[in-house]
Amino acid sequence: MTWWLLTFSRGGPAVYLSHLDTARAVQRTFARAGVPIALSQGMRPKPRLSLPLPLPVGAAGCEELAVVEVPPDLPGPAGALRELRAAAPPGLIPAAVIVVGEQHPRPQALEARYTCVLEGDAGAVQAAVERYATEVSVVRERVSPKGRRTLDLKDYVVHAAAEAVPGGARLSFSIRHRDDGAARPQELIDLIATWAEVDPVMRGLKRRRIIWKGLPPGPSLGAERSVSR
Amino acid sequence: MNAHAPGSLDSCSEGWVRDEVARLLARVTRPGRYTGGEFNLRLKPGASPRIVLSYPDVYEIGISNPGLQILYAHLNDATPAAAERAYCPWPDMAALMRAHDVPLWTLEAMQPVAGCDLWGFTLPHELTYTNVLEMLDLAGLPLHAAERGEGCPIVLGGGPAVADPWPLAPFFDAFFIGEVEHRLDEIVDALAVPSRAARLRALAGVPGMWLPGVSERPARRQVFTAFSSTPPVLRPVVPVLEAVHDRAIVEVMRGCTAGCRFCQVGMWYRPVRERPVDLVVEAAERLLGETGCDEVSLLSLSSCDYSGIGEALTRIRALRPGVRVSLPSLRIDSAAESLGSFAADQRGSVTLAPEAGTQELRDAINKGVDDAQFEEAVRATFAGGFTGLKLYFMIGLPGETDADVAGIARMTGTAARLAKDIARGRARLSVAVSSYVPKAHTPFQLEPFAGAAVLRRRQRLLRAALPRGVRVSFHDVAASQVEATLARGGPGSHRLVEEAWRRGARFDGWSEHFRPEIWEAAAAATGIELGTADLHGDETLPWESAVDAGVTRSFLADERARGRRGELTGDCRDGRCAPCGVCGGGVEMDVLP
Repeated sequence: MTWWLLTFSRGGPAVYLSHLDTARAVQRTFARAGVPIALSQGMRPKPRLSLPLPLPVGAAGCEELAVVEVPPDLPGPAGALRELRAAAPPGLIPAAVIVVGEQHPRPQALEARYTCVLEGDAGAVQAAVERYATEVSVVRERVSPKGRRTLDLKDYVVHAAAEAVPGGARLSFSIRHRDDGAARPQELIDLIATWAEVDPVMRGLKRRRIIWKGLPPGPSLGAERSVSR
Repeated sequence: MNAHAPGSLDSCSEGWVRDEVARLLARVTRPGRYTGGEFNLRLKPGASPRIVLSYPDVYEIGISNPGLQILYAHLNDATPAAAERAYCPWPDMAALMRAHDVPLWTLEAMQPVAGCDLWGFTLPHELTYTNVLEMLDLAGLPLHAAERGEGCPIVLGGGPAVADPWPLAPFFDAFFIGEVEHRLDEIVDALAVPSRAARLRALAGVPGMWLPGVSERPARRQVFTAFSSTPPVLRPVVPVLEAVHDRAIVEVMRGCTAGCRFCQVGMWYRPVRERPVDLVVEAAERLLGETGCDEVSLLSLSSCDYSGIGEALTRIRALRPGVRVSLPSLRIDSAAESLGSFAADQRGSVTLAPEAGTQELRDAINKGVDDAQFEEAVRATFAGGFTGLKLYFMIGLPGETDADVAGIARMTGTAARLAKDIARGRARLSVAVSSYVPKAHTPFQLEPFAGAAVLRRRQRLLRAALPRGVRVSFHDVAASQVEATLARGGPGSHRLVEEAWRRGARFDGWSEHFRPEIWEAAAAATGIELGTADLHGDETLPWESAVDAGVTRSFLADERARGRRGELTGDCRDGRCAPCGVCGGGVEMDVLP
């Protein structure tokens, strides 16, 4: 078997898909394109496909990554990429296929850079971001079906900045991915919105760049060198 | 052309959706319900007329409806019209839409529904009726057709629930009665005239159309006689969100003449028409490519009765490795044979529907299955390695006694014993028990609804008698009572629907949303007694004044009498015509040689 990396962007109506729905859309795109995906062993075989870094519902992704195992005798990736592009749903656009080889790649995200727009008083948002920069610790509690967890946003969210745009402020920030997890973009957005007293709804959230480790050597995955090794 | 064709969108760009909608999407559960973006979605900018198709339930249910897929594909691919879709917003979205004054939009163009020329609803069952009003209101349209003026779309109802259109009559401009495939071109042509009144006049001339307050005689149910020679939908819209059904669908047969006396669709979709196996297999092959699914469902009311079932199963499985084929229903009398044709790697669970617990009652409803056939089917299920068995029963059938309910427990006990003996405890057994609701245009259309008290008592009786370890689910009796009221409602019954909606009834088919106290209050306010039908013996029945289903009243009365005598009526496809009145005038049974 052979492992491929597929880079793709997620935008338009596809931004409202969950992680599982996005994975299903990628898998179905392969099926529609006639590019087979290898199946796992066992009673209920599953396609060997994973998206190593989930993208939040509502967020666009400019360069996302899928790890896919395919049969070794497939023709070259250039033709497959054409078929995948033709078969993809609106908003999900395959960008590149990179043949990795027989070794299972296990890419790990180190850092991801985001932007979004907060509507309201840009000055207040900028002040909230400045306050965040000066705080030593910003502890937040996360409640999920798995239970409660406290995390210090300062351990994860770096390079936060805000600039005024028509109707509000563009917030940009990076999230570090550590062995113990990562902060969620919404957690920082909620914090800044609360401090700035603006609507916490994230609009136009985009993941612009991801820094990876664990990718095999090879050609750059993106035109902007947004994937690094 | 393909909407949002890959490559046509800068995927990191904004602007494909209006800001006012984007703000709502950021706040609701499962926003993908409202944004389209599916595989095979069509967009025809500038096309005219603009038609919106709706299913009055949440997206995940509505996208799985094959009827809407037929209309969508035909209108977009074979007429000048642009067909778009809208489903019923979930309550969280509905609340936001009202709070922010954002009207209901379509998934294709993301534009307000109210701006279309024609808004067609597929009406599946009575518990979706309040959702119709919810959608009309969210679109910003007057609820009552009489209050709509120039510039408002024509609201058209269709689907199986229009067998009795009265509970919704004032809310619709028109209803189409029966199968519409061969009338779509005429409907599109009728929209070519400029004024609303002229369009309604033109629509009134389309066979099968019934306009409340305008039509002077009932509309004859339309039968799509070219079904057998017409390919099924080959390029369906495929959801990206997880839907209730995720498989490629090939409708192999329409109609069922098994003659179950309680079954409305069995009477409604007569006569039987079958597609040739070649057409079915070619469609399956094309659909596997278009949908990316690895499962093909051979759809019909009773797929085991499809004459080409064996050949179709074999040939579709041979199309490519790993293709699974599913049948939505199995007949108990042929289940053992059917189960053997499933591949070993797709032996999940099996559903069997004995419907009633004793031979006497099964004969009365014309479900000619005996205990030995049932036992053989259960034995074949577990011996074949299937891991689950679900049994469907009804309570509240005409003539039912406590002994019949005890019979359900006895049959379940038989299945549980066989599960233990054959599957050695590795198989799951579950029982679903629904409450029988008498429906229009069936032999039991004049039978009374059993009533809430009787149904609840029998549910308790059954629950106590069922063997341990069996999972059992019952229909909500209060919801069945509402369904029974609306299934045979006459003129004026719309007041109950409207009152319940005004008091907050929505998604009544969802147990977590159904609120019986609302319906009780609405019934008290309107003076309509829940669970009753306003019937007067031999007078014209309310639904007969709107709908001529083709099945004659004398046939239905005769079948009712035969049911009371416990006499079975054979399937006319076996060579003995039960003169139901449907065939003739170009409408004939069309089965494979």
